[in-house]
Amino acid sequence: MDYMEDKMKAVNYNPRLRLHLFIVLVVSALISIFFGGYFTRFFIAEIAILSIFAMSLDFLAARGGLVSLGHAMFLGIGAYSTTIFILNLGISPFIATILSLLIGCFIGLLISYFIVVLNGIFFIMVTLALGEMFHAWVFTSELLGGSDGISGIIRPDISFMGIDMNDPFIFAIYSLLWMSLIYFILSRITDSPLGRNLDALRQNHMRLSAIGGYAKVYKIIAFTISSGVASIAGSLYVQLNGFISPELTHWTVSGEGLIMIIVGGIGSISGAILGASVVYILQHELSNFISWWMLIVGLLFILVVLFMQDGLWGLIEKLRLRLLKGKNKI
Amino acid sequence: MILELKKLSKSFGSIKVLKNINLKIDNNECVGIIGPNGAGKSTLFNVIAGHLKHDIGDVIYKNININNKSNEQRARFGIVQSFQKNSMFPEMTVLESIMLAISHRLNITFQLFTNLNSNIRILNEAFEIIKNIGLDKYSNSRSDALSYGLQRQLEIGIAIACSPTLLLLDEPTAGMSPLETKNIIRLIKNLSKNYTIVIVEHDMEVIYNLAHRIYVLDRGKIIFNGESEEIKNSKLVQDKYLGIENV
Repeated sequence: MDYMEDKMKAVNYNPRLRLHLFIVLVVSALISIFFGGYFTRFFIAEIAILSIFAMSLDFLAARGGLVSLGHAMFLGIGAYSTTIFILNLGISPFIATILSLLIGCFIGLLISYFIVVLNGIFFIMVTLALGEMFHAWVFTSELLGGSDGISGIIRPDISFMGIDMNDPFIFAIYSLLWMSLIYFILSRITDSPLGRNLDALRQNHMRLSAIGGYAKVYKIIAFTISSGVASIAGSLYVQLNGFISPELTHWTVSGEGLIMIIVGGIGSISGAILGASVVYILQHELSNFISWWMLIVGLLFILVVLFMQDGLWGLIEKLRLRLLKGKNKI
Repeated sequence: MILELKKLSKSFGSIKVLKNINLKIDNNECVGIIGPNGAGKSTLFNVIAGHLKHDIGDVIYKNININNKSNEQRARFGIVQSFQKNSMFPEMTVLESIMLAISHRLNITFQLFTNLNSNIRILNEAFEIIKNIGLDKYSNSRSDALSYGLQRQLEIGIAIACSPTLLLLDEPTAGMSPLETKNIIRLIKNLSKNYTIVIVEHDMEVIYNLAHRIYVLDRGKIIFNGESEEIKNSKLVQDKYLGIENV
């Protein structure tokens, strides 16, 4: 625990700034959707879905103090269960997303019961091992399409309302709505007595127990919520692409998610959205020009960890405070 | 009687840290526990609070045997401990820390969709506690930004926000300046009007000032128990503890 606590001093909690940043990000996304072309809209939908995944990791790391390197497993659980519900059972995609959320929560609950007693490096390694076991299983499973994956996944059909979900404009808005819903739910939980207790748990679990806090139960709840949120991201991801491959469940996906929340600022929720947007846009844009783009992204990550542990969120907070000071002087 | 320890023993490997401890604490009493370093005082506290499991004997709280209750359950029963080393929530403000502790007493810690920090009732109660512990100037300061002495006051504040029926204070004046010690003594004196307090302390002046009754622990055994004057006049205690302290 001590090891991770040392690594996780930068955890941000500022409900007002969180909301302001979220509004700026959503308005920027809406402008891009309205004025952008086909690829921009597809791109925004992808960022919104990645943001949901980043928020799930952020909630777990900041509120429960748990860093998971196997969370892509829940992305995979959401993705594969949605695929099976749609293709094998003929269930509508929207209902499939809800069912995937429930399955993600249930599996998260089962796993967390056994693993949340582990701390720091041990928790990270166990989640990594679980994630890799899942990846190995889907990679070889005939039912799940093996290494080829499965294609032909459809999006929700609301043509009776005259809306075509296959239109990237509509699906980008749909993804953004899911992202906003998750943001508001996680924000509410973060500000609730449970959320504040989860925050306290990360800071000093001994003290929390000494005033009657059930540390293990809180951690289980945090892990379960986070697993459900990651499953929603997986479910939306396959609907966006119409295709699922085992690559989605690889541990590097969890690693990228962690990079996103560190760049954005751990614990701020909207910082996770900002981090996902910045990292993904950087990856995309740099890869258009140079083949060694990963080197630049890695360098950026190292610089953030060394000099900006509160991430971009911290930078925004500092700028805001400086502006306020400047105003007061006038 | 609020707490009774019956024939309680605890060992760490082959080392017997507590040997056949018998102890009784009445309601609204302030009881001091003294003894040289390594006498087993903190272990005794940790056994009462449930952080450590004892080997033999019984812990009876309000006539109920709580041997098998976890430290969380004991805290919910009203046995709340402040630690020897400052133990707070470093990133939270004084106000947030107290509000968090109140949420435990009100048993609302599993609420998912209500905002803790904007709960007016809890907020008012928290301000009241902050005033009582003398931290009203620091309500919006982060806990880790407070001086050592103020952190000790916050420690006690977090404990009393849980409305304990038994408050265990482990060396509340350790490492404090004379002025800070004076403040803490005044604070604990006020608290002792409403709470049952057990206090472990090295500073005999603090103990004489606060405790109605004192237990003397030596090498895991209670060697004497009585009021301040009896302790002062006991040759056994003088030889075993006070003599050493005075050297």
